Amino acid sequence: MIGSDTPADGLAVFVKKDCPTCRLIQPVIRDLSQRAGSMIVFAQDDVSAVEGIAVIDDTSLEQSFRQGIEAVPTMIRFANGREVERTFGWNRDEWQRVTGLADLGRGLPQMQPGCGSRSREPGVFEHLVARYGDPGLASRKINIGEWDDPIEAGFERGWSDGLPLVPPTDERILRMLGGTIRNPDEIVGRVPPNLAPCTVEKVAINAVMAGCKPEYLPVVLGALEAALEPIATMHGLLCTTCSGSPILVVNGPIARAIGMNSGINALGQGNRANATIGRALQLIIRNVGGGRPGELSRSTLGGPHKYTFCFAEDESDAEWTPLSVARGLTRGTNAVTLFQGDGIQAFIDQRSRSAPELARSLAMSLLAVGHPKLCEFTNAMLVLSPEHYGIFRDAGWDRVRIEAELHKAMLRPGKDLIQGAQGVGEGISPGRAEELVNKFWPEGLLIVRAGGKAGLFSAICGGWTGGRFRDQSQPVTREIRL
Amino acid sequence: MSVHAQLRDPTAEVASELRPRQSPLPTLEGKSVALLDIGKMRGDEFIDRLEILLNARGIATRRYKKPTNTRVAPTEIIHDIILNCHAVVMALSDCGSCTSCSTHDLFTLDGRAIPGVNVITEEFADAFEVQRRAIGFDGAAVVVPHPIQNRTRTELEGFADQFCQQILTRICSHPPSTTGAVAAGLPWRRN
Repeated sequence: MIGSDTPADGLAVFVKKDCPTCRLIQPVIRDLSQRAGSMIVFAQDDVSAVEGIAVIDDTSLEQSFRQGIEAVPTMIRFANGREVERTFGWNRDEWQRVTGLADLGRGLPQMQPGCGSRSREPGVFEHLVARYGDPGLASRKINIGEWDDPIEAGFERGWSDGLPLVPPTDERILRMLGGTIRNPDEIVGRVPPNLAPCTVEKVAINAVMAGCKPEYLPVVLGALEAALEPIATMHGLLCTTCSGSPILVVNGPIARAIGMNSGINALGQGNRANATIGRALQLIIRNVGGGRPGELSRSTLGGPHKYTFCFAEDESDAEWTPLSVARGLTRGTNAVTLFQGDGIQAFIDQRSRSAPELARSLAMSLLAVGHPKLCEFTNAMLVLSPEHYGIFRDAGWDRVRIEAELHKAMLRPGKDLIQGAQGVGEGISPGRAEELVNKFWPEGLLIVRAGGKAGLFSAICGGWTGGRFRDQSQPVTREIRL
Repeated sequence: MSVHAQLRDPTAEVASELRPRQSPLPTLEGKSVALLDIGKMRGDEFIDRLEILLNARGIATRRYKKPTNTRVAPTEIIHDIILNCHAVVMALSDCGSCTSCSTHDLFTLDGRAIPGVNVITEEFADAFEVQRRAIGFDGAAVVVPHPIQNRTRTELEGFADQFCQQILTRICSHPPSTTGAVAAGLPWRRN
């Protein structure tokens, strides 16, 4: 399409003053202004870009955007209102061919590359699409008044988890969508509790609001896909009166590539990717799914993990089998695991020196998950810190051995655990009094490595009670599609 | 409204873009209704009469008055209403600034589980609509005739009589109806 300021017949030249090639060819442009008939020169940064002739101010970059300028200088020839020729950079033969004029730029080098167009600078293009083009977004527009604050608007419309949101403007959404090759209108799935269809565009909008960078979007999409697998039981997890919520563990090179934290304070605050990927999933469930606390989200107490809980596994030890590999994916595959769990229970042991001793010690804490007398009722995630893991590694224990030893150390006589035993009503079925009972099903204990190098402290995340339906609710590991 | 920024809806768009207001109370029995004078001249005469009408229906009321109609209500007033009342009637907006500020007050209180209604004049019904859209809130209003400032006290009291029941239906799904005694005449007059 031709902008209103470009000639129907003649030349349009786009330059910027801080481009050395544009400065070099100033004599050529002045020459053309005398010989080429109709010609308009647009300057992207300064109308004094070409001395001695009138230059149109295109600092708004509207014409540069409309003409699809990618480099300066660019010369376009129009005929009958349509573009018929285009060249960019300085190349005497090309300029002579496009203009039909001989003897251009005498004394100049034969050719010299130009510079990038300002309209293509990072972050600028999306602004121009939003302002002058068709952003191609399907979501309803929400107008904010001149005197109103877009941050407050997010609260007022009920979009927020209680913290400020980044306003989802078209340029931010377009930038976010640049993080995936998937089409904005692709439906990722139906989000509970309303089972509303969620497009990639809606994911992007909520990722913007959460504070994500575009490069996080594939992880957010992967996390959502994991959450929407029926076996993840996101619907129940959202509506439950328990405190459970998605805990996301990211494996594979993408974790390091996007700067996720698997080290010091991995489960805590301070890392943008960790914080915003988990938050984005929660916002999608809130806004697309309609899962708002007090309505259908009915957790009795909730927990800070319901804002966000996402971290990367420490894969720095080649001998360690990462969680995603243990769950069936190949090493090096980007993956996200969704575990339905609570906030952390700290595990403190600064005395154990041997692997068997530490396993017995960990087992004692793991037995407290949910309730000490409840068994095969929830799953659990053990986040093993480097110093604790080091004790196992030095003993030659790998993931399989650690899991096996922990399960073995958690076996207890059923008679001590049945309802009413030890003067406590809670407990397992009285019919299991004669059994040796394990705390978790074999697949119900997930071990992840994370944390700073110093500190004989690990963490246990108790699983959601929906996990008692062994075949109906399970953690999900899913490959992240880039 | 001139547009300052344009955002995109992050929701599934299955509902209005306006946040629903609090549901009206099922009953006003045992409840206290805040009567918030927004601070505009003549509003007190309307509210004086409204108070009589509500009290005659057995509805407890608590009076408030903003220091100015040109700003949102002071936090102390908002907090007092939240702590002591169950619904709010705010009156009487007959200008742009009072309509805008009172709509924000309505929104603030609604967000704290206080259903309310804004009494505005017909000239500012569109301003109310613009403001509630700008803040994304499906606020409730009762529209009375315009202008206000050149009315007699009797006329203003007549408006209160005329619109009282409509006002009550905005804050209560089953409001008590008018009584013969009050409908018959004005039991109270200022000096």
